[in-house]
Amino acid sequence: MSIRGRKGVNMQSVQTSHLFSLAGVKPLEGLLRYRDHCLVATEKALAHCNQRRRVSPCSGEELKQWKKVGKFEYFRCEASGSLFLADLPEPDIWADLLREVSRYRDSSKTFHQEIRPSRAENVLKPKLTWIKNVLRLHNIQNASILEVVTPPSDLTPFLKKCNYFGEVLTVDESDLLKQETIRNHAFHTALLLESLDRIYDPKNLLQVTSQHLKKGGLIFVTALVSSGFDMMLLQEKNIYLFPPDRTNCFSRKGLEQLLEKSGFELLEVSTPGILDVEIVKAHLKQGASISLSTFERALLDAPEEVCNDFQAFLQKSELSSFARIVGRKK
Amino acid sequence: MRCLILGYGYMGRTRHQLLKGHSAVKAIGIFDPYIDPKKENIQQEYLNSPDIPWDAFDAVFVCTPNHVTAQYVIEGLKHCGNVFCEKPPGRNWEELCGIDEAASARPDHTLVFGFNHRLHPSVQTAKAFIGKGGLGEVLYMKGSYGKSGGSKYRESWRNHRATSGGGILLDQGIHMLDIFQFFLGPLQVVDAVLADLFWKCDVEDNAYVLLKSEKGQPAFLHSSATLWKHTFHFEIGCQDGYLTASGLLTKSGSYGREKLVIGRRQFEEEAFALGNPREEIIYFDRDESWQKEIDEFLQAVQEKRQATYGTLTEAKQVMALIRDVYQRTQRG
Repeated sequence: MSIRGRKGVNMQSVQTSHLFSLAGVKPLEGLLRYRDHCLVATEKALAHCNQRRRVSPCSGEELKQWKKVGKFEYFRCEASGSLFLADLPEPDIWADLLREVSRYRDSSKTFHQEIRPSRAENVLKPKLTWIKNVLRLHNIQNASILEVVTPPSDLTPFLKKCNYFGEVLTVDESDLLKQETIRNHAFHTALLLESLDRIYDPKNLLQVTSQHLKKGGLIFVTALVSSGFDMMLLQEKNIYLFPPDRTNCFSRKGLEQLLEKSGFELLEVSTPGILDVEIVKAHLKQGASISLSTFERALLDAPEEVCNDFQAFLQKSELSSFARIVGRKK
Repeated sequence: MRCLILGYGYMGRTRHQLLKGHSAVKAIGIFDPYIDPKKENIQQEYLNSPDIPWDAFDAVFVCTPNHVTAQYVIEGLKHCGNVFCEKPPGRNWEELCGIDEAASARPDHTLVFGFNHRLHPSVQTAKAFIGKGGLGEVLYMKGSYGKSGGSKYRESWRNHRATSGGGILLDQGIHMLDIFQFFLGPLQVVDAVLADLFWKCDVEDNAYVLLKSEKGQPAFLHSSATLWKHTFHFEIGCQDGYLTASGLLTKSGSYGREKLVIGRRQFEEEAFALGNPREEIIYFDRDESWQKEIDEFLQAVQEKRQATYGTLTEAKQVMALIRDVYQRTQRG
């Protein structure tokens, strides 16, 4: 007999006294140029033979119209609150698009190069610590890792240099979908860090990834979620919501549904985001026209300490827009 | 496997639920002359005979009040050889010695004591962070475990010296002592204070125990029946950080949501403010401690080996501490 809390999830993690600035990891101003590039590239990709998405990968229900992000229409899964880019081109065209924007992001043309040290400290190292801690908790030593990503990945060198894991194999998520990359290999662990946000067929990616995991193997997922504070407040005006990086913007519930449907038992569901409040403030500072209630306005204008407390509340209540999940293959 | 449950109180019912769904269990018998089997809806498993049919069972679960625990464990060892005994392992050191003797006379036995708290997720997770887990060696431990007693406190057999053998230290504090030993190894009592200032049942309603490990690591326990807010809390100070566990997943939820705070030591050059390091809080929503205990016991029986936790050695270590506290405070 086990005593189960919310939906039988094992644990939830919250970060406290761990503050860093938005500017240090994903500055709004710096993002705009990269975003513009992505939107243009997506528009070109969608010029080819579009396919309209009809069904939610989370609930299996019909998707409903939501809103437009720039020129791009998004649909909504009513059951979970997840958002999906309405149109997609052929899978190969989408894969090429992902590779192109990933190369661009890694180039000297974007802000990412300038903030590399800060991102390493505040984003990549905590992710690495998280993975190591979870593996330690489950007594998995020398874990073989399947990193599912659109290369290049900033995390790969950290995974390889830390001398904690066994084999680390980085595969292109689009290749993995076509099952072209690896055969007959059973990994201890798979990493899908924001992969589900951009991939053409997230449900299939999870299923294929699962095939490459041992029974009892762990999957680590991170994502920007539509159920988070800044996403709920800013909606389609959120600058961080754009294709192809956020082709799919699952809600926390939607991600849970998708993982469970794909044969994973949920071990951890957390939203340890630190930047929700700051993201909304940054949008307001940029002049975004957002309708706020008196309470919301008062909250955002409150002293820093109050905002920090509110951010901690969002984490604890699973209402931050950065989600991380650990699942175990059944 | 055919399992016999002796005593159908809270723990007997709990073990029954676990055994009912276990693949290794083929039959269950329940013996408790003080219950109405119809009311409990256990007519099929209930043993009406005044004599316990020991030979019809492969394993025994002793879930009785303390005054008959040792007697049933000894009988169980003699007849079945495989016994799971709820804590405490008898009313006192002498009764445990009797169990030890019976176990020695049956070398092929499997004997497990129900110290499930060390299997709670916050405790297991804390263990993973100690030493090479990143926080280094343990420097000290502090633990507080207590309940409010309630209006029927004085009526409970747990607080009748002749039936229970002791007060809150033997009832709840024993779990925290087991957790201390899980992290620090064998301990010895440095000093202790017992009090019975509120309930006045002739057993302690508060126990303060100072201990130290073989390496000299200090530990301090406060076990209480006058914590009006139910509390389960322990701290582990380590060379490179600290762990604070609080709350406990229970059916009532009265101890609060189980959580573990993990802090890493940061001096001035690493943090904005000295003494306010980066922390992570892990909340736990699933307790599988009882399931793990049962799984391990049944597997040990099937494999004809001793269990890996809840062993007789661990039970003796923790009961020796309680013996020493009672002797030191002349309440034994």
